[in-house]
Amino acid sequence: MSIESLFVVLIIILIAWYLTFSASRLDRLHHRVETSWATLDSLLHQRAALAHEIVAESNLDPATAYLISTSASAARFAKLDERSAAESVLSESLKLVQSAARDEVLQLPTELLVELSDLTAKVRLAINIHLEAVNATRNVRKKPLIRIFRLAGKAPLPVRYAFEDDVLEAAN
Amino acid sequence: MVCPYGWDTPGGVQTHIRDLAEHLISEGHYVSVLTPVSDDSLELEDYVVNAGKPIPIPVNGSVARVLFGPIASSRAKQWIASGDFDLLHLHEPAIPSLSLLACSAAEGPLVGTFHVSTPKKKAIYAIGPILEPIVEKLTARIAVSELARSTLKDHFETDAVVIPNGIDGQKYANAIISKDYTGENTIGFIGRFEEPRKGLQVLLDSLPIVARFIPDVLYLIAGPGESKDYLKQINPELRGRVKFLGLLSDKEKESFLKSIQIYVAPNTGGESFGIILTEALSAGTAVVASDIPAFKAVLENGEAGALFQNEDSTDLAKVLVELLRDKDRREKLASNGKLSAQKYDWQVVAEQIESVYEMAIAGGQRVTLSSENRFWSRR
Repeated sequence: MSIESLFVVLIIILIAWYLTFSASRLDRLHHRVETSWATLDSLLHQRAALAHEIVAESNLDPATAYLISTSASAARFAKLDERSAAESVLSESLKLVQSAARDEVLQLPTELLVELSDLTAKVRLAINIHLEAVNATRNVRKKPLIRIFRLAGKAPLPVRYAFEDDVLEAAN
Repeated sequence: MVCPYGWDTPGGVQTHIRDLAEHLISEGHYVSVLTPVSDDSLELEDYVVNAGKPIPIPVNGSVARVLFGPIASSRAKQWIASGDFDLLHLHEPAIPSLSLLACSAAEGPLVGTFHVSTPKKKAIYAIGPILEPIVEKLTARIAVSELARSTLKDHFETDAVVIPNGIDGQKYANAIISKDYTGENTIGFIGRFEEPRKGLQVLLDSLPIVARFIPDVLYLIAGPGESKDYLKQINPELRGRVKFLGLLSDKEKESFLKSIQIYVAPNTGGESFGIILTEALSAGTAVVASDIPAFKAVLENGEAGALFQNEDSTDLAKVLVELLRDKDRREKLASNGKLSAQKYDWQVVAEQIESVYEMAIAGGQRVTLSSENRFWSRR
């Protein structure tokens, strides 16, 4: 065998190795995106439920109470394309609750307030972890060889939602 | 948990891992720590698993004792396979070490903590693409400081949650005041002082000026190292004003930090967090530190402790003299510092780490070897 053909074989082997390696890497990333989203999703549902509870247990004026409970319901039952906006509204209205409780305008059982701040911290953490996975996946999927060989298959491209950025920005 | 550095050499990362492991065990978790150990005859804690002898490698101005190679790799794999862990916590997974080996071998809920902060180096361009897919496997990343986080951002374009290193504040606050370390005006320093970046030279250079204003000042230098050369260069008249104490035990260190008047951290760079500062703060001692970014962050821009211009011993002397003369200001600074150190207490810190763990294991997977997951070995 000539040296050229040996060279060609070597390159083919290298490419094949790179493709299998990338495929398993991408599979792992997609898995991470899904599990981290599931965690975040369940935390968001918990948050909506907590918002309802806060409305029930506090002395909120009717207007604010209505705002919070509608935004909580909206976040809970929103369709995919409306979800981000609904969660943003809920984040904002819960922030109102927290600042009102801090100024002692609002009477709220302390357990609920502690639960709210714990949950907000957890949501922030979950968003952080989820976005990380989303970004990493998107970066890998941008690579030319991976696009040419369609290694991502039919898996949907993970997206960032506006509400996630809002929450992180508020934290900084 | 995986510790990259030799267990029996003192260092911030090792202490962090030991304290975290002990805290988690006291809360009823099962913890196992895989780490290199230099001295085989050493008696190890129950939860520590020896992975072999580390090799000393100079990095970042000090000597890191790390371990890698095929034998270490197979040991790490064995440990992961037999441990059947819910979660793997890797410390410093981005440097070539046991943590990196474990990270590349494992699959499942992985959490990584990044301790170092270094400016962007050329070398990272070369190994970056190799490390990226490995670092990417971590489910969640923790950085010990904002600096470590920005290092991570520069090198791997990923973000991390910032959770500071924890300390057992009570231990320092309740330490016994020892006669050995008290006197009218004692100034303390702890560290491997032979390393230039620890900045002992800056501190010693400030002595002539400080001694002119405060004649009974006493510099207490603790830490392992050869002190002869340092003593020789000090003016003979002032030699009595400096005392080298050698390596202190943990108990001695606690009472040292509690007893001295001022703790000085003259480090010239390469620090990511500065755990010693928070320890001195929680002992209720006034702290003076160089204004490198890590220390500035811990001392909240001078609110929790005084800062001086990095590598400027004249400025250091000025700050020291002012503080030694003004008892009220010193006490005010110390009490501010003690308050701000509370957020580094293990109770607070461990809770944050545990919620990261919770997120990571939410997927319901366990830690497995990635080689078990290849399609031809799947059952």
